Amino acid sequence: MTSNNAMIEFAGVNKFYGSYHALNNINAIVPQGEVVIVCGPSGSGKSTLIRTVNRLENIQSGKITVNGIDTQSEGINVNKMRSQIGFVFQQFNLFPHLSALENVSLGLIKVQHLSKGQAQEIAQGLLNRVGLEHKVNAFPGELSGGQQQRVAIARALSQNPPVMLFDEPTSALDPEMVGEVLAVMRELAAEGMTMMCVTHEMGFARDVANKVWFMDQGQILEESTPEEFFKSPKTERASKFLSDIR
Amino acid sequence: MIDILQNYWLLLLVGQFPNGPLGGLAMTLILAVCGIGLAFPCSIAIALALTSPFRALRASAQALVYIVRGLPLLMFIFWAYFAIPALLGTSVPGVVTMLFALVIYESVYLAEVIRGGIQALPAGQTEAARAMGLTHLQTQRIVVLPQVLYNVLPSILSQFISTIKETSLGYVISVNELTFAANQVNSILLTRPFDVYLLLAIIYFTLCFILTSCVRLLELRVERGRKSLRLKTQ
Amino acid sequence: MGIVSTLELTLLAGCIAFVIGAVLAVVRASGSKLASGFVVVYVAYHRNIPLLVQILFWYFGITALLPAVIQSWLNQHGGGFLCGAIAIGLCMAAYVSEDLRSGMRAIPTGQYEAARAMGLSFMQTMRYIVIPQALRHAIASLVNEMLLLLKNTSLLMAIGVAELTYATRQIESQTFRTFEIFAFATLCYLAISFCIMFCGRALERHFRVAGR
Repeated sequence: MTSNNAMIEFAGVNKFYGSYHALNNINAIVPQGEVVIVCGPSGSGKSTLIRTVNRLENIQSGKITVNGIDTQSEGINVNKMRSQIGFVFQQFNLFPHLSALENVSLGLIKVQHLSKGQAQEIAQGLLNRVGLEHKVNAFPGELSGGQQQRVAIARALSQNPPVMLFDEPTSALDPEMVGEVLAVMRELAAEGMTMMCVTHEMGFARDVANKVWFMDQGQILEESTPEEFFKSPKTERASKFLSDIR
Repeated sequence: MIDILQNYWLLLLVGQFPNGPLGGLAMTLILAVCGIGLAFPCSIAIALALTSPFRALRASAQALVYIVRGLPLLMFIFWAYFAIPALLGTSVPGVVTMLFALVIYESVYLAEVIRGGIQALPAGQTEAARAMGLTHLQTQRIVVLPQVLYNVLPSILSQFISTIKETSLGYVISVNELTFAANQVNSILLTRPFDVYLLLAIIYFTLCFILTSCVRLLELRVERGRKSLRLKTQ
Repeated sequence: MGIVSTLELTLLAGCIAFVIGAVLAVVRASGSKLASGFVVVYVAYHRNIPLLVQILFWYFGITALLPAVIQSWLNQHGGGFLCGAIAIGLCMAAYVSEDLRSGMRAIPTGQYEAARAMGLSFMQTMRYIVIPQALRHAIASLVNEMLLLLKNTSLLMAIGVAELTYATRQIESQTFRTFEIFAFATLCYLAISFCIMFCGRALERHFRVAGR
């Protein structure tokens, strides 16, 4: 894979929390149009890694490039950069005082400066796409966990970003709702969206991922295709992880 | 004591109005309402400064909070009493002085309440807003403050009740509020100070107690609203 | 001068407040409906009535009820000081008891059970187990009360007690150097507040180390 094709590129990325080395010399590429799953034991740094992409976490050294733009550069408009990266949180983080429609159209109105009418039209379309056309005026408090997360995905998609990041999107959901969220994510992948996803859902990884990154103690220990990773992991720690979660 | 109430209730309620300036309980309430009303926007500004990402702004706001909280309200009243006429060049009615001191004092305490609310809001809310590309101020205006102000509403109302009690300090600079009116009654009667002051105490007690009970009911409603949302995302 | 009076008042009222506050908190926890009820009324009274009004009530109202002998004794021996200290002390005692009550609520119930299982009486449980732990939890709020106490001493100028604010006004009316004298008083209050806050933080740290 050449750098021209890379949507996200990590080069020599290091991050410390005080003296704790959270990310250790990360070098990796998420190519355009591909789905990368990041997995590993807790504390391995996977959430930290994905949060550095849109600068929810900062890094001490190294370079992160998203869609050709160096995200760490001094002169960059952080807000504009973030509007072009879709981020889905584990805890949904919907705004409870706004309806579903308002949550999804907020970015369009305030960052893209669209009119309310235009923004709401687009938002309605997105909510239809995630299967919530009847819940546009509902408030987060009235929605189930699965519904809230789908609204969150619609919200992340609203400003038409070229890349979507998912930080354990189904970990906070009751088991029966995991399926509906994964279905939306599968559709996105099938449409060619570049996705980087931290998850424990190995079934999803097997079906949808182009690449699986295994992380442990701040390092990417393995980068393989799902078949290679699940059948014959290269490292011992990966084997142990896989047997633990089965 | 009932007879004092019967004879002087008008004086206690509205002072010497319409033969003189408005006073008594009416003035107390006006001072409290205006005080909190004017302090509210100031307190939001100070709270935003306290949580601002700019260190200089944060430090100056913290210094302001420290100074205002370290001084008695009476000190502010006297500062205002002397400073305002000196600055404006003309003499100023006691009510304005009192209001000025109250507004400065209350806006700092309210700011601390709001700041606590801002810091208690789950970090995920701010993160989600910033991840969408909203600026810091947009985040505060659209996501943070609407939620925070609703959450801290009971505390704001408690502060309003405190303000009612603080208006009694107007007595010291002869502002014609309830305590001053009671004092006037006392100087008319001279022989029944115990009854007069007991009556005064009862009036304040009734007023504040009713308001406090309302605040408690409001607290329960706000808690219920917050709990149902928290359970969903667990 | 005024500063000394202010400090004396703060300390005296503070002692009254803490002692009575502790007593109230213990009484409230005792389970006796009558006693608890009394404490609830006491706290409600002192929280809903402005401190200034309470001071006036004590100074003008209650003293009028006392026999003439005591009244004249009071007038000769700085009645304002005493009445003021009592008024502030009793008022702050209400707040202190509420703070201690919150502190007590923060203690796991197992503590009480263990103490009673050992055979300790209610009073002993309170004295050796509960109050020490409640204090640890309540230190921050208690320090706040001390600061409030300091500021409330200024109210006593209304009844002629020669504390800092009163002295300031006296000097001001004599010399007319308004801003300098008020600035000086402001600095005094800030300095004393700072000392109280500093001691408070040191106490917090001390208790935290000893506790866990």
